[in-house]
Amino acid sequence: MSDKERRWKCGKCSQELVQQKVVFNYLGHTFSHDLPACPDCGQVFISKELAEGRIAELEEELEDK
Amino acid sequence: MREIKRRTYSVCPVCLKRIPAIHAAYGKTVYLEKTCPQHGDFAAVIWRGLRDLETWRGNLPEIEEGENENCPRACGLCPEHRQGTCCVLLEVTKRCNLNCAFCFAGGGSGEDIPFATLRKHLHDLAEPGKTLVQLSGGEPTVRDDLPRIVAAAKEAGCQYVQLNTNGVRLAEDREYVRNLATAGLSFVFMQFDGTSDRIYRTLRGRELFAVKKRAIENCGLYNLGVTLVPTIVPGVNTDNIGGIIRFAVKHSPAVRGVHFQPVSYFGRFPFLPSDSRRFTLDELLAAIEDQAGELVSRDSLHPSRCDHPLCGFHGDYLVMQDHTLYPLHKGESSCCQTVTAVQNRNFVARRWRRPKAEEAASGKQEESGADNDIETLEGFLRRIRSHSFTITAMAFQDAGNLDLERLRSCSLHVYSDGRFVPFCAYYLTKQA
Repeated sequence: MSDKERRWKCGKCSQELVQQKVVFNYLGHTFSHDLPACPDCGQVFISKELAEGRIAELEEELEDK
Repeated sequence: MREIKRRTYSVCPVCLKRIPAIHAAYGKTVYLEKTCPQHGDFAAVIWRGLRDLETWRGNLPEIEEGENENCPRACGLCPEHRQGTCCVLLEVTKRCNLNCAFCFAGGGSGEDIPFATLRKHLHDLAEPGKTLVQLSGGEPTVRDDLPRIVAAAKEAGCQYVQLNTNGVRLAEDREYVRNLATAGLSFVFMQFDGTSDRIYRTLRGRELFAVKKRAIENCGLYNLGVTLVPTIVPGVNTDNIGGIIRFAVKHSPAVRGVHFQPVSYFGRFPFLPSDSRRFTLDELLAAIEDQAGELVSRDSLHPSRCDHPLCGFHGDYLVMQDHTLYPLHKGESSCCQTVTAVQNRNFVARRWRRPKAEEAASGKQEESGADNDIETLEGFLRRIRSHSFTITAMAFQDAGNLDLERLRSCSLHVYSDGRFVPFCAYYLTKQA
């Protein structure tokens, strides 16, 4: 089962995470991305797939040479 | 009042012997001064004081006594050289189809290097999966077998193959461009001195602006990214710097950036330089700000951290649909942290190369307006793949202003007789 298909619960609130548009800041740039987030406390889940894929790509592009 | 700012080593411009040198400031202007016991005193302006030199350079160490003592006489890389090879330049011919007033290689007439010799050189110089090789000359495109040389470079394991060219044949011969692309050419560095024929008549002896535009168009047809390379010469094209940047941005994504090279005096040049014939790195920075300030913010251009900070700078951007530039790196950049040649190579190659066909499919969405959005992670990454843009500069050194502190950090090397020779050491020319 992929991270996308799995149902995750918030470790703090035990609420099931729901897909939300999340805004985040990285090296001075602001982006939005749909991520599973806790409807109560807002904690988000970043999957291994996302971290090693898109976010790693972003890091490579934005780290100054 | 004269103030000694820094101690280094240089060469005598007449006999090329290694001699001590200093950076001497007269007010804000800084000169490299040196004395040859045999040929006398020499000075060349190196900084006009338009930015703070100390801040720009950062806290790099001076050359200590006893360090780099065989530099540049014994170049090939020695254990004391401080940087690896980012790009390696291989001359494939001495011939050229232009006769320029300025030419670092002094090209024109002479022989092609036999294909078998080149293939051996490529196998010897390539680190499979890593090397960025620049095919240079002379003018490489005078060779009908250049596509075969490109293929040989790929076969030898070169990851990136760059063509340094004046663009004349690329404009005239579309089939030739297609063959280069098919053979595996990664990107093109094209001499591009300005947006008016007056400039080309002065520097290159003929009108070439239409030719340059056609060459860009032909490269675009086969998905070959083109970086424009202006030689900046005082009194000729220093007032066209903003125009060149605007032209390049307008021709994105076929054009991937501009790589400025302030004139240096080696190879073939028409006269010995006075200080007014030099264009320092800080003059170039100021000219970009003055002439293209609406596109390029001052804090988006950063000193080189792969080569010495006095050797170049870079700025990285996205080209937006309205032909503005969105800077990827802003603010103070740390120049005390050196970047390895490998990091630098991967970074520049990603920028200069156009995405492959499957990635470029996102470029079609762009035309419909769907991809101008850089606020979503997906949109930003798509835009960076299709429309990244760089403004870079490389200030080559000649016998007048050669600073061995800079030379020992050089990452652009010429392959010759089994050795990797720093570019400015290889082309160093006596000024008699």
